[in-house]
Amino acid sequence: MRKNRRAKYFFIFPAIIWVLAFTIFPLIYSLGLSFFRVRLGRPAQFVGLNNFARIFSDYKLGNSLRVTLLYVAITVSIQLILGILIALLFNQEIRGKNIFRALLILPIFCTPVAVGYLGLTIFYEEGGPINSILMSLFNLKIPWLSSRIWAWVAVFLLDIWQWTPFCFLVILAGLQSLPEEIYDAAYVDSSSEWEIFRKITFPMIQPVIMIVLLLRLIESFKIFDVVYSLTGGGPGTATEVYSLYTYRTGMKFFDLGYASALGYLLLAIVIVIINFLFRQIREVYE
Amino acid sequence: MKKVSILGVLVVVSLFVASFAFADITVTNASGESITFTDEEIGTIVTSGEKPFEGVTVTVTVNEGGPKGGISGPLYEWRDTWEQLTGAKLNIVEIPYAEHYPKVMTDLYTGTGQFDAFMIGSDWMGELIAGEYIIPVDDYIKDPRFPKWDPDALPPSIRTLYTWGDKWYGVLNDCDGQVLYYRKDILNNPDYRVQFKEKHGYEYNIPPKTWDELYDISEFFNGWDWNDDGEADSGIVMHLKVGAQGMYHYVSLSAPFCILPGEKVDKYHNVYWFDPEDMTPLINDEGHIKALDFQLKLAKTGPDAQVAWSLGEAWDYFLRGKAIFCFSWGDLGSLAQDEARSKVKGKIGCSILPGCYEVYDRSQGQFVKFDDPVVWGNTTGGSWHGVISVLSKNPEATYHLLAFHATNKISLWNAQRGWTGVDPGVKFHFLPPYGTASLDDYVANGFHPEDAKEYLDAYYENFFATNIVPYLRIPGGNEYWVALDRHLSEAYTGALSAQEALDRVARDWEDITNRYGREEQLKVYQESIGYQPE
Repeated sequence: MRKNRRAKYFFIFPAIIWVLAFTIFPLIYSLGLSFFRVRLGRPAQFVGLNNFARIFSDYKLGNSLRVTLLYVAITVSIQLILGILIALLFNQEIRGKNIFRALLILPIFCTPVAVGYLGLTIFYEEGGPINSILMSLFNLKIPWLSSRIWAWVAVFLLDIWQWTPFCFLVILAGLQSLPEEIYDAAYVDSSSEWEIFRKITFPMIQPVIMIVLLLRLIESFKIFDVVYSLTGGGPGTATEVYSLYTYRTGMKFFDLGYASALGYLLLAIVIVIINFLFRQIREVYE
Repeated sequence: MKKVSILGVLVVVSLFVASFAFADITVTNASGESITFTDEEIGTIVTSGEKPFEGVTVTVTVNEGGPKGGISGPLYEWRDTWEQLTGAKLNIVEIPYAEHYPKVMTDLYTGTGQFDAFMIGSDWMGELIAGEYIIPVDDYIKDPRFPKWDPDALPPSIRTLYTWGDKWYGVLNDCDGQVLYYRKDILNNPDYRVQFKEKHGYEYNIPPKTWDELYDISEFFNGWDWNDDGEADSGIVMHLKVGAQGMYHYVSLSAPFCILPGEKVDKYHNVYWFDPEDMTPLINDEGHIKALDFQLKLAKTGPDAQVAWSLGEAWDYFLRGKAIFCFSWGDLGSLAQDEARSKVKGKIGCSILPGCYEVYDRSQGQFVKFDDPVVWGNTTGGSWHGVISVLSKNPEATYHLLAFHATNKISLWNAQRGWTGVDPGVKFHFLPPYGTASLDDYVANGFHPEDAKEYLDAYYENFFATNIVPYLRIPGGNEYWVALDRHLSEAYTGALSAQEALDRVARDWEDITNRYGREEQLKVYQESIGYQPE
């Protein structure tokens, strides 16, 4: 028995080291940095809460926050809705279901940076594949990357294309775990598919949807790769998301103290949203 | 008889020894082309045959481009040769353009020292000098052990970028500046000239003398099929994508609107970036606002998509014969000679950028008129060249590599081939009477003779112009450029007016200056533009 107790410490030890080295230490170190004016190559200077105060006068930050919130709200909503719809479809008996399912989840395995560069080719305005098709069919040329709004649409489309399969896959697993008996009983009382979905299926898979929502929210707040490679934050600053702005502040301009403060602001925002969601999940379970 | 025979043997032996001592050295590059150096040109380290750098590895950073890419290409092209000559190894570290500066500065700031040399953009120089991160090379230049290159061949405008004060830090490689490329064949079409005169009431000059004239021509040719390819064509094409060097267009274009020429650098003359007395940004003064308003108007005579185009896409558009004008770097002139991607070989003209009759005078707070257009040459761009890290453990081997590439023969070889990214700018790149290069050599390397003359003369005129746009070389230079780039892009996309965008640039620049320390920045800025406080 005592041996077993020791064994569990042995197995948990690497995880503790990992968390300490790669989560706790950077967290504390960056908190320390956020109280200093740090410029590599020069002595750090203690500035108290100045970096946090600077956040309130930084007009560029407002733009990147707005852009990020908009991005999170739109892409995550669409991914969830599409994920549910496709999962419901695949929960039926369809010929070749396995093949389609395998094809559908392929985008998850792509590297986001590669997806961004792929987007550059697909959305190329002068003779790119999408515009070529649109030109031949409708004589229409969309300014995918040169218009502020269309650049957003391009980023949205790539992200939705890549992450909807994730939502679909998890929700499908949730759907397939629902007991058949409940549906048998439900069909005795009602023949409306919509009513059955609204009153039985949706409430029962709600916890799964909340988990998917949670995971996608956390990931979406950190969006960087696709934007970096597809638009570089442009045109202008139209797609300059929060992570890109923080990256530039810290890694391009070496303003590490302020970049750390920016990191903590994002952490605070995400914690508030996640806490709110956890409460909702708890209520659903209860 | 015996004396004669001994003398004869001595003569023969002497000649034999001399033939080795003064033998020219022929090197062959990766393309299989050979160049022969004299002993003096290649230096005694090579001629001695001792290979003192055996076992040494020299690591150089360069913009990502691959073995046939701009600036990185020549390093690959001559790597094997240089390694054979010296016994050293060359490790080429390619870094994407946008990441190159942060990577280099991180290496220097943290004292890691994993790189011996960097192929830098000239705007990094202020930061490198202020932090004493690179070493001067004056002693090496005079040292006969190393390959010989000629600092005096550089025009003063380019020399400024390679030096700080009276010391040389850079070793000759690239010479960047933007000139005007135009479709000579189309502009000379008599029907088009008549139609233009009917519309505007005057005959245009080829090339246009002022930006206003260029606008009229660009607007005239925009939106219709003037080259009979079945598609509507454009007046001008620019690369305006954020983060892809779009802001350089603005700097080259805006100079004649807002820099008042004068005999020396003072508060009101020959300054572009900041007030040299207190570092107040000048970027949002009336001259700049007029220039950006003009550029926004001019951009409407080009393809809408150019707002999201980087260099490659804009150049490709011009090379496919879709635009009358493009103002860009020397790469475009040489790429135009590549018939695999260019339809404009033998059809292009080149000139120094146009000027303005009216220039903003800050001392009077108004635009002042000149009898002739005020024209500014520019060194816009990186003029990418090698500097040696102070952390290098092998500065001699590193300098040897850089100097080898700077020799007249290799430099000329590079300049005559478009893919190398090494643009012409020194005397021996130019044709007589300005320089010593041969038109036949350019033609042998694929240039159309008329294009080559136009191209080289335009660059000579640009780099040796009376007025040269001051170059920004202060700590944080990259950050100032990025701020300019992002807000210009906001104006290009219509999110902000010219005034709003430039006000934002000024605000960001003030923030950056305050963070770096106004007094320190002012001192470096004054030094970098040659301002003498009274």
